Amino acid sequence: MISVYYFGAISLILIGLYAVLVKKNLLKILVGLSIMETGVNLLLISIGYVSGRSAPILSEGIGPNQAVDPIPQALVLTAIVIGVATTAMALSAAIILYEKYGTLNVDEIRRLRG
Amino acid sequence: MNELALIVFTPLLAGVLAWLLNVRGLREAIGVIGAAVPLAYAAMLHEKAAQGLSFALNLGVFNMTFALSQLSWFFLGIAALVGFSAVLGLVSTARGSYEWLFALMSLTGAFGVFLANDLMTFFIFWEIMTFASFMMVLRYNRQASLKYFVLSIVGAYAMLIAIAFIYVKVGSFDFSAVRSAFIGDAYARMFGSATFSSGELMALFGLFLVAFGVKAGLFPLHVWAPDAYSETNQSYTAMFSGVLSKTGIYGFIMMYILMGTRLMVEFGMFRSAPKFGYIIAFLGGLTIIVGGLLAALQEDIRKLFAYSSISQVGYILVGIGVGTALSMQAALFHALSHALFKGLFFLIVATIVYRTGKTTFADMGGLAEKMPFTFAMAFVAILSLAGIPPLVGFASKWVLFEAVISQNLPILGGMVFFGSAIGFVYLIRFTYAVWFGQRPTDLDDTKDAPLPLAVAMAILALFNVVLGIAPGLVARELNRIFGRDIIGGNLFVLDLGFGKYNALAILTYLIMGIAIAGLIYLLGARARKVPVTDTYQSGNPVTMEYNLTIRRNFFLPLKEALSGWLRISFDRTYRDIGAWVEDFGEVMRNYIYNGNVQSYAWYLLLILLILAIWGV
Repeated sequence: MISVYYFGAISLILIGLYAVLVKKNLLKILVGLSIMETGVNLLLISIGYVSGRSAPILSEGIGPNQAVDPIPQALVLTAIVIGVATTAMALSAAIILYEKYGTLNVDEIRRLRG
Repeated sequence: MNELALIVFTPLLAGVLAWLLNVRGLREAIGVIGAAVPLAYAAMLHEKAAQGLSFALNLGVFNMTFALSQLSWFFLGIAALVGFSAVLGLVSTARGSYEWLFALMSLTGAFGVFLANDLMTFFIFWEIMTFASFMMVLRYNRQASLKYFVLSIVGAYAMLIAIAFIYVKVGSFDFSAVRSAFIGDAYARMFGSATFSSGELMALFGLFLVAFGVKAGLFPLHVWAPDAYSETNQSYTAMFSGVLSKTGIYGFIMMYILMGTRLMVEFGMFRSAPKFGYIIAFLGGLTIIVGGLLAALQEDIRKLFAYSSISQVGYILVGIGVGTALSMQAALFHALSHALFKGLFFLIVATIVYRTGKTTFADMGGLAEKMPFTFAMAFVAILSLAGIPPLVGFASKWVLFEAVISQNLPILGGMVFFGSAIGFVYLIRFTYAVWFGQRPTDLDDTKDAPLPLAVAMAILALFNVVLGIAPGLVARELNRIFGRDIIGGNLFVLDLGFGKYNALAILTYLIMGIAIAGLIYLLGARARKVPVTDTYQSGNPVTMEYNLTIRRNFFLPLKEALSGWLRISFDRTYRDIGAWVEDFGEVMRNYIYNGNVQSYAWYLLLILLILAIWGV
């Protein structure tokens, strides 16, 4: 029986992938990318989860043996930042594209580029 | 320092010096010295060749080994002599220090190939030679040089794969180790188990056939040669055609020496020749015919001799392919005479081009009067190539004919004889169209050959005559290579056991005949001096399409008769293949690399899916 976390994370990735592959509007593609990114982050976090343990902050009564795996959390922190940065850059590119071509349809933009 | 190292590296050093200094006069002197030193050393090493001489250069990663044997001395001698003459010719025709650098570099490459004692050294110098000759063509014609380069690369990769394959199986690059491994394998094959399977041997043979065939100008791979030979400095072509094509021949002989026994055991015999050798010989025969016919149809002197050179190399390949000791000797003999007369021919062409600036037959005529010395040299070369006794071309062709006939190989014999006949056809054209007949008025103040070219031609012509009158000199060398008397006789007589050729007797008859004719002329002939502007064509008005002058489209009927065959052009086939590959690439680019981000995402997804299905 596949864990619900895995199932949810992978579904998010696939939904995002669907948007990237099929949607023609650039903004929708970017939304798809964001969703995919969220799914990836969720997947990473759920890989590190150990059932019944608490957050990996060493304090009263919580030693290294009672914490979940801290490495995916560090990884995801990095990934979130990178994701935000790429999304911001892609959005600025979308603004420039709209200014130049007057449309956000990727097929249309390809045709106009010629 | 070792003599072999001096021979191999002096030309390269001289070339680099000439290129760096680049002072007119000085660079010519350095270049000529760079070619003269190997010649002098090669001459001095003649006696030492019997006991052998070796030299190793430690490059840290591996040793570069050179060795001198009787066989390599023979080729070294050819290369040094013709190379020296060509470099002398360059003194007149070279257009700058660039040409000195690469001409001398290619000479180093050829020396290295002939003296190499392991496969890796052989390959390295092979590539130096190819690169330098490519650069020489590049200066004159990009298209021709690219064609040469692409075919050479194909050959080089074929050789590299074959060498790597041999190394994997044998564990050594050294010629003697490889040779004994193959001989051992031949015995092992006879008793059942062998290291090399028959498929592997066939692949090796095919790879070497491509590698050496490209350089020698073997039939379907000859297409680079007409363009490369004609589109470069013609003095350099004397070396290109005389020396560099011999490295392909040397490669074939090395293949015989290294793996001949094994190939023979595996594939057996065809009539009286080994089957693998028969393939070489048959392709050589086709080379003779194709090269000869195409030479007859050319309108450009340089092209004519380029095709003729291809055709003549075909003889050597026939000799190698038949595979008896006699035919091997005949091939070596013809390799020598081909280098001598072809080197001479290209120097003559260099002189004509240098003095007149024209290259087509249509623009020539009546030059014998204006360039008597060059004409005399051309006369020697024509007689030698056509195989008229007592010149060296006759002696070598005669030995070759005898070798092929005595082995009872009628098809090869027919091809070889046909090649000789077609040789007359194209030489007659050269003789008449350039030297005799009406002279165009703009050639009226043509001068004779400049001194360096004249000296270079004289050297080669001298060898053509001397070795023709005394073919025993060459036969003695050849017998020393094989260690036994295969061609008997003395200095002037070649004796094959079933046939004899006495050069001295023929020379005597010839001189007597000429003397009698001269006597008749002096005593009673009522001869009238015919000025060159007073020769006639037949009385009919001549149309341009069917011009009866020898200068323009003389062999048009032949061309029409062959038109069906001429449509089959390997040159065009290769170009079609090239165009097809380009089209294919274009289509792939348009459909796959289409600039649509979403389709790239799809590709990514598909690849991930495929990997997932494979279980990576």
